[in-house]
Amino acid sequence: MASAIPFVEKTDPLESTRTLSILVENRFGVLSRIAGLFSARGYNIESLTVARTADSTLSRITMVVRCEPLLAQQILRQVEKLPNAVEAADLTDTNCVERELVLVRVHAKEGRRTSLLTEAEIFRARVVTATPENYVFEVTGDSGKIEAFLDVVRPYGIDEMVRTGQVALRRNLHSRFAPETVVEEDPVEASR
Amino acid sequence: MADANTQTDRQPHPLAGRRMTGAEMIVQVLAEEGTDTVFGYTGGAILPVFDAIFRYNAEREARRDKQMQLIIPANEQGAGFMAAGYARSSGKVGVFVVTSGPAATNSVTPIRDCMADSIPVVLICGQVARAAIGTDAFQEAPVFNLMSACAKHVFLVERPEELESVVRTAFEIARSGRPGPVVIDVPKDVQNWEGVFKGGGTVRFRGYETRMKRLASAKLSDAECAELLGMLRKSERPLVCAGGGVILGGGAPQLRRFAEAFGIPVVTTLMGIGAVDTTSDLSLQMLGMHGMAYANYAVTDCDFLLVAGARFDDRVAGKVQEFAPNARYIAHIDIDAAEIGKVKQVSWAHVGDAGDAFAELAARKEGFDKDFSPWLEHVRKLREKHARGYDRSSRAIQPQQVLECLNEVVKGAAAGKGDAIVATGVGQHQMWAAQYLDFKAPRLFLTSGSMGTMGFGLPAAIGAQAAFPDRLVIDVDGDGSMRMNIGELETATTYGLPVKVLLLNNHADGMVRQWQKLFFDNRFSGSDKTLRRKDFVKAAQADGFGFAERLEDQGRLREALERFIAFEGAAFLEVVIDPDAEVYPMVFPGASYKEMSTGDFIKGRSAEDYAQGPRRTDAF
Repeated sequence: MASAIPFVEKTDPLESTRTLSILVENRFGVLSRIAGLFSARGYNIESLTVARTADSTLSRITMVVRCEPLLAQQILRQVEKLPNAVEAADLTDTNCVERELVLVRVHAKEGRRTSLLTEAEIFRARVVTATPENYVFEVTGDSGKIEAFLDVVRPYGIDEMVRTGQVALRRNLHSRFAPETVVEEDPVEASR
Repeated sequence: MADANTQTDRQPHPLAGRRMTGAEMIVQVLAEEGTDTVFGYTGGAILPVFDAIFRYNAEREARRDKQMQLIIPANEQGAGFMAAGYARSSGKVGVFVVTSGPAATNSVTPIRDCMADSIPVVLICGQVARAAIGTDAFQEAPVFNLMSACAKHVFLVERPEELESVVRTAFEIARSGRPGPVVIDVPKDVQNWEGVFKGGGTVRFRGYETRMKRLASAKLSDAECAELLGMLRKSERPLVCAGGGVILGGGAPQLRRFAEAFGIPVVTTLMGIGAVDTTSDLSLQMLGMHGMAYANYAVTDCDFLLVAGARFDDRVAGKVQEFAPNARYIAHIDIDAAEIGKVKQVSWAHVGDAGDAFAELAARKEGFDKDFSPWLEHVRKLREKHARGYDRSSRAIQPQQVLECLNEVVKGAAAGKGDAIVATGVGQHQMWAAQYLDFKAPRLFLTSGSMGTMGFGLPAAIGAQAAFPDRLVIDVDGDGSMRMNIGELETATTYGLPVKVLLLNNHADGMVRQWQKLFFDNRFSGSDKTLRRKDFVKAAQADGFGFAERLEDQGRLREALERFIAFEGAAFLEVVIDPDAEVYPMVFPGASYKEMSTGDFIKGRSAEDYAQGPRRTDAF
């Protein structure tokens, strides 16, 4: 896992980045099990986010992985065999919205601050905090926008940055997981 | 999980509401799941569970009730393979219980082996107390992490209130869908915890439950049947390839009815042996790397291949692109959606129970009047012309000859006792057993198919014998495999289990030796055992075998096998075999069936078949 790896252009048409969305029971060990399916095959995970869903007993994992679409399909099918996995889908090329957030501390010396702010405005980057030496920007967008913003501020000098990794959400409900099968009472481990 | 077989759907548990320890709850749920035998090895972190079994049995003894048989191996790996042998032969979930740390790591191999062959077992591991987890405590191992990569599912019981439902759920996960091993890691303080036994309830897995429900209702539709039968109608040379899934799902009777109704011959994978009666007219026996020549030729010749409960493993398919090259249609039935299209793209697929699918198809036989008898005649000729063979003129004992003879002897001996169960180690002897022994029913041939774990045979035979004390259980083993778990010889005699251990000793890791002949210019690095000084007969005697003999004289073969099989208790027969006997046919690794070599004693199709000879490749 290396979220700081710069975004790489798609070169090999067979091998592209896939955005995978996996709904799981919110229990310990689930993430390592799923990540293990990728590491066991020698695939690096480009980015990874996990957090609870509206139903707090479920979590959603969003993963960006560099592999062939067919292989992504195969791994997702393996994911769906895990008892803790609820459903798994490849959201790449589907009707979904994708966002990523970056926090970046950029050198902002006297005399360059105004131009930096002007450029940041183009990306609707927000200044979260400032010191006499630098600004910390917050930018949200798809990976392309984030990359473009970073390209713009790079000449000013990036001190440090952190990216959340991509999250993605379908525009319409598209779940094979029938909601009526959700039990009313919390599962045993729900309160965790 | 709601399953009609579990206690949850029946009357309230007689012990519901009773206070008891976590260890006692584990034993109660095992009993409720019908566990009559527990294999395992005790130790610090599992002491409460072993004590609870002791007390459970003492109480039952006082009432003259049936006890939970406890079988203690020499090594935890043995316990795992015993549980696997029990599960493979009986179809029930096998159970083994071990302590933490080294016991848990010794169990990794059988767990992975069960995963690879889809065998339902439940392993209960002791773990250090919760407060000590992660401190590098004595006999601590990261069981959750280790087993996560190997098992179908792993539970670490952190909350004692969950323990009861976790154990129940473990059985459900182990046997449902594509079966597999489930591990429960139970910290010692959770075993000692006291609480109220609920007598029911499981841990919910919403996605898994939904998928299991979908599988249960995944009946072949009229349209799907029509599509498949349409392909069949357009074909002249149909073939069924049945794998272990057909046996695991109990689909063998339906497969047989389907094959007979349509008159379609059947090949099986190693794991599918016994899905059809290997002696029946429609059976072409095993296909693959060391499959029967006629089975592999039939795969090459067929124009329609229906694969069920099998997964195009590399030992089966060889060079995948050239597998079944003349098949216009390949159809695939499997309970695991992830297997469809994983290796080979197919023209028709169904995710569901193979037995149900065969029943649906067989029910539509009426009106299907295609006659496949010319193909059946072709296949009959293949079987005649390319029959199995070996060096019958040699003065050294040939392993195939031993097994042919064993087959005859067993036929006589097993009459009235049910068919013999055969377990094997891994290597040449395993392949010879698969080729030369008859298996009329499923669950008679127990072998480590996917993982290929040497040392599997003896403990698996012990486990099967524990499940069926009155049946004839034979471990056909090799000297290399025997050494791996030789400590379990004593387990057989300790528990009075009358297993018959037939050791084919060629003083080598024979399969490795065969590959070294083919690919490494006869450099027998590591595989030569001629300087080893092990006296297997003395070892068996030392472990209490009342029958322990070595046979080197071909002329005494039949007589020795007869006495060996007829012996009342555990018996050990070492047969010193020709070290140069080889397993043929052989489809070289990564090669296609076209390049199959039939060796010196089986008639191949033509010189072209192996004109190229073996190539050294990275295929393994």
